[in-house]
Amino acid sequence: MSSHPTTPGARAHTYDAIVVGSGISGGWAAKELCEAGLRTLVLERGRDVQHLRDYPTALANPWDLPHRGRLPRALAQANPIARKCYAFDEATEHFFAKDAEHPYVQEKPFDWIRGYQVGGKSLIWARQTQRWSHHDFEGPARDGFAEWPITYDELAPWYSHVERFVGISGNRDGVEGLPDGEFLPAWEMNDAERAMAGRIEGAFPGRRVVQGRCAHLTEARPEHLAQGRGKCQSRNLCYRGCPFGGYFSSNSSTLPWAARTGNLTVRPGSVVESILHDDATGRASGVRVIDAATKGVTEYFAKVIFVNAACLNTNLILLNSKSRRYPAGLGNDHGLLGRHVAFHNYRGSLNASLEGFADSYYSGRRPTQPMMPNFRNVTRQETDFQRGYMVFFSAARRGWTRGQGAPGIGAAYKEELTRPGPWGIYMMMQGETIPRYENHVRLSADQRDPWGIPQLVTSIGYTDNDERMIRDFLAQGRAMLEAAGARDIRATDDRRNPGLDIHEMGGARMGRDPRTSLLNRWNQFHTCPNVFVTDGAAMASTGVQNPSLTFMALTARAARHAVDELRKGTL
Amino acid sequence: MNRRTLLRHAAQLAAAAALGSLPHRGWSALPRPDGWSASEEALLDAIGDTILPATPGSPGAGSVAIGRFILVMTADCHPPAAAEAVRRLLAEVTTRAQAAGARAFPELPAAERERLLVALERQPPPARDGVAPWRHVKDLTLLGYFTAEAGATQALRYDPVPGAYRGSVPLRPGDRAWAT
Repeated sequence: MSSHPTTPGARAHTYDAIVVGSGISGGWAAKELCEAGLRTLVLERGRDVQHLRDYPTALANPWDLPHRGRLPRALAQANPIARKCYAFDEATEHFFAKDAEHPYVQEKPFDWIRGYQVGGKSLIWARQTQRWSHHDFEGPARDGFAEWPITYDELAPWYSHVERFVGISGNRDGVEGLPDGEFLPAWEMNDAERAMAGRIEGAFPGRRVVQGRCAHLTEARPEHLAQGRGKCQSRNLCYRGCPFGGYFSSNSSTLPWAARTGNLTVRPGSVVESILHDDATGRASGVRVIDAATKGVTEYFAKVIFVNAACLNTNLILLNSKSRRYPAGLGNDHGLLGRHVAFHNYRGSLNASLEGFADSYYSGRRPTQPMMPNFRNVTRQETDFQRGYMVFFSAARRGWTRGQGAPGIGAAYKEELTRPGPWGIYMMMQGETIPRYENHVRLSADQRDPWGIPQLVTSIGYTDNDERMIRDFLAQGRAMLEAAGARDIRATDDRRNPGLDIHEMGGARMGRDPRTSLLNRWNQFHTCPNVFVTDGAAMASTGVQNPSLTFMALTARAARHAVDELRKGTL
Repeated sequence: MNRRTLLRHAAQLAAAAALGSLPHRGWSALPRPDGWSASEEALLDAIGDTILPATPGSPGAGSVAIGRFILVMTADCHPPAAAEAVRRLLAEVTTRAQAAGARAFPELPAAERERLLVALERQPPPARDGVAPWRHVKDLTLLGYFTAEAGATQALRYDPVPGAYRGSVPLRPGDRAWAT
């Protein structure tokens, strides 16, 4: 098949830009490229999901759902991996890829949670959006395992750019290790959390408790109303899709915005098999697509290609993009493609109870919680593990579920359960893991998926560093909860598999040195500059923050660079 | 009407349109799973209604078709051992009711039904294949009742669209818990 757009048929398949994937970063690529006047084709392997029209459960009451949200056994048994995700239930399962339909090979256990539809996982993300600090960018070089080619200061304006459009709620906390952003009003802490925050900060000088920052419109400003989005209604049914556009998704925001330019074409059901490389020009010429339904093969061509298929699928496509120039995958002259995959360590958590605050309650359902910026190894190495972790906690009054497993029959038992119960506390870690050469993905030599594409092999595991970090968090968490006045503290290491964090990153990492990285400081391949990777695959390290905001900022920055280079004629 | 107001109205209209397209299913309309009789369902209604009876302001679990709910959930969401556990619980309840002089549990006066279940909860039928019969039925009773419209809106407080979150709300005597 020709990879040169010379025939009339090929010209009809030619765009200025191709974006592979329509999730949180692909949506941003589409928006920025379309706004710059580029005719842009977005390829999405899953089905179409239109804002509002395709949120069938968004306004369902608990009693409207056949099993009140619980998973029917057949669905649970058919999805041993997807069902592990906390957000996978009867009301949301249609936004998750089903295990049996999309096989992969777990050389080491990896729970790969995927959202195959227009909007990708932006429909089902957890929406917590902290900026990285300069510590996050500089720490990996200090610790000697990776070198970011950009600084916080370079990314800061792009954080601002995406924050204003997305709508991020938060306080300007002035914390050195957690930069403030362009914030809408913050969500409130409840009385118990406020008291706990004061007690923890008092007992541990230097540690801060701030309210989480999240992609919810606590106030709809003109730039959000112009997107057709309204204020978050505090329903906390986000994973079903929001009919108010209260939280940010590609579906509610970037894709319709891009469509309004007239430059956007979205093609659902398009499984990208590979990126086509033109050995004569040293550039990518387009992509090869397999139709999800008919399995027919089509090629599309463009001057610039953004790969935003989500971390592991981006790796898969790149590894499968073989040419005479790149027999081991695009840009993979050194065998590093698919290597240095990392994730977030969520294994540690604590539960506790809190006495007092009996006359205090709250109303509405909040999409975030208090958090503590990393306080470990921030400016220098000071523990028996490298890097650090962020802490999240929340306090809430227990509901009727406290009656399950508790003795009681009759009117008094029922009446008691209709009142707010005692306060319970949940605290969890979000730990940085170190990208290691050994932690990798590769193509299976013999197993193929239903579209004839080699299956991905996952070989990603924890290290002793992660184990030591868990022990530290559980000890520190216990000490902080004790200081906060909590009782009945129970610490848990749930020993979950990597992947369930849904924060997988790396494999096509950015870096200064082409010998040790795939992408340059603009997310371009060092050796194939018209291909950009701006999803999790590009990350040289994981930081301790929820990553999506950084993916969006990197994407917008890279898109601007692509447009500039195209105008200069250098791409 | 300025542009901002217009956009806000548009967003609300769109949400209302989505609301209109949603299926609304009532529990009593769902069929009883195969292999269960009306009297078994009625027995579960009576057990549920004894665990969570009508109290001032809210009906009992028997009025939200709790028997049907327990049977549907048991059939659809639990392993086959759960159906066996329900059968064993129903047999145990019937045996105890007959020992108390009734033909069947639902015929006992409410106070006696309650006494019977209090005693049963202290010495429940043993778990088998990982399912404890009493715990299974009681847990589903709570789930079915507090997520039913009557349970959520009358026994609890239900606000589908709170509009905002307030972190400090004084709790007054008699205030009920939020359903969700």
